[in-house]
Amino acid sequence: MPDAIRTIQRAFLVCLALAFPGCKSANESPSFRINLEGRHPAEVSQTQRDAINQTMEEFFGTPDKPRLPEGTGLDLDRIMMAAGPVAGNADGTQQGLFRQHCATCHGISGDGAGALATTFNPYPRDFRRGTFKYTTTRADAKPLRSDLQRTLLRGIPGTGMPSFSELPTGQLEALVEYVVYLSLRGETEQYLIQLVLDEGEYLPLGTDAKEMILEDATLWVAEQWADVEQNPNEYIVPVPPRPVYASDAQFAESVARGKRLYSSKDAQCVQCHGPDGAGDGEDDEIYDDWNKPKKGVTPEQTAKLSRLYTLPIQKLRARDFREGAFRGGSNPEDLYRRVHIGIKGTPMPAAGPQPGAKGVFTPQDIWDVVNYVLSLSGED
Amino acid sequence: MQNSVQPMVRDTDNMNKLNRRQFVGGSTVAAGSLAAGIAMPGIARAAEDAWGDLTGKFVYDGVAPERKKLVVDKDVECCGKFDIRDESLMVGDDGGLKNVYIYVRSKRVDICPDLDKETEDKVLLDNRDCIFVPHCMSIWTSKQKYHIVNSDPVAQNVAFNPLLDKPANIVIPVDGDATWTFRRAQRVPVPIACNYHPWESAYILPLDHPYVAITDENGSFTIPKLPVGELEFQIWHERVGYLNTQDWPKGRMKTTIQAGTNDLGTIKLAPSVLEK
Repeated sequence: MPDAIRTIQRAFLVCLALAFPGCKSANESPSFRINLEGRHPAEVSQTQRDAINQTMEEFFGTPDKPRLPEGTGLDLDRIMMAAGPVAGNADGTQQGLFRQHCATCHGISGDGAGALATTFNPYPRDFRRGTFKYTTTRADAKPLRSDLQRTLLRGIPGTGMPSFSELPTGQLEALVEYVVYLSLRGETEQYLIQLVLDEGEYLPLGTDAKEMILEDATLWVAEQWADVEQNPNEYIVPVPPRPVYASDAQFAESVARGKRLYSSKDAQCVQCHGPDGAGDGEDDEIYDDWNKPKKGVTPEQTAKLSRLYTLPIQKLRARDFREGAFRGGSNPEDLYRRVHIGIKGTPMPAAGPQPGAKGVFTPQDIWDVVNYVLSLSGED
Repeated sequence: MQNSVQPMVRDTDNMNKLNRRQFVGGSTVAAGSLAAGIAMPGIARAAEDAWGDLTGKFVYDGVAPERKKLVVDKDVECCGKFDIRDESLMVGDDGGLKNVYIYVRSKRVDICPDLDKETEDKVLLDNRDCIFVPHCMSIWTSKQKYHIVNSDPVAQNVAFNPLLDKPANIVIPVDGDATWTFRRAQRVPVPIACNYHPWESAYILPLDHPYVAITDENGSFTIPKLPVGELEFQIWHERVGYLNTQDWPKGRMKTTIQAGTNDLGTIKLAPSVLEK
């Protein structure tokens, strides 16, 4: 049976590749794919699937005709610009931007399982968890729209994510809004799936249940996105100016301090990144939040679990600092944020102070660690 | 009496919904007041006999398997000296099953005012001898904060990701601590991991009421001061999630709580119930 599932999953990917963007003929509109990650397809009835798909469509429309429940604060005009089939309008504006630029890797549903997904390490981001790695906001907060836009502008060095800096700002904003839409949709779907599949008592989904989904999931998540935009100062982690080093000797001192902090038992950087920052720490079995659920205790369990997911399990590699090309950006300020905030959805924790936790490093410490890391990469 | 207070609860709820809508639209309602829309304590009844305790005991009806020694291959100089074993099935000498969660599943349960005074304002998680202590916890979201400390001579990490709540991935330095708040209730306990030491595991169940118990090493539990009347309970264990038995389909049971002690007696669980 598990092999049959894998065959079906492969067939699906092949089908995607051939009949991109949806798994249907060119004349049919593509649809969003239900999120059954980690579940045995045979355990999900057709009635349950229909209930999930119909409710999701009621809330969020289709890839060709997106819609939004009232009160999410998302910009539907921008979403419309990014949605639908690729087309140019008479006035020179562009439509279907997501399918043009993103869906081949990120998938029509934003599930990170587009036609080319398996060719990448790391995989393209699955937006449905609502987690984004590189942000200027606190470890526990949603990203700002400008964080997502920065990723579009710069790309993610060392991965398959290219830079889209040639796109006009309006198109970048449309794509960012569409990613937020897919993410809000994805988090709502997770909640809906818990109700329908795990709780199993909400079928058929009546007005009360839909109201609950709207309140407890969609508007709740939308609030988190709105809150960071409306109160950025509460969420953005401030980066103090990098100290000025009067001489090479002074800089070398900071690097030496950074190495000591890096190596301390209080920080545990070495655990993953290794004693010399070569990415060869003793924790060599690390996974991001998208892959962690595929990991069992034994290899057999992992193989069994992994088959319940669209993409095979993929290990995470801790950064080898000597390579440079830091994914969240190689500016000293970018690296400061990575150490302070961490990388969301990965084992890289927040080492700087945050509400409720003093953290292991002070801002001064973080600059020393950044200087040490930069000294290894040859970038400064 | 219960009927007469119900409409009031509804009205307050609707007001909260309106506030939340306005907020998303760009108004300035403070985030703190919004949380109340989810964690709405019911209106308490004054009569002293309106509350009852629920007790019982879960027993593993078979020979408990030996708890396996876990692979401890990180920070060996510190963690290697401890006998660290699997905690996913803890059976006492007389068969009592530890770490079964039993909690009220009904929505909008009335909360006894005494509990507001008697409940500690924090729940403690310690990193001690390279494991999480305790292994299973619950938290009343609107009342309690989660206090995490580290008694080990190495830094520890605490990572969890509750559905639609903020994710945590915190470093707790030697002698350090952290305070965390959960913003919403969950239907099932949330797994906690340490990214440095993959053998470490724990669970926490955030709820918007105090009506939860976790069985002790004898398998016994008491949920004090429940409102009298019919309530639905949920049972959950980390081995399988919802404990599915004949009396508890999908781990659920409705019972009518009466003033005083309500004893469920001994609930025997066949080993197959705890296997996936």
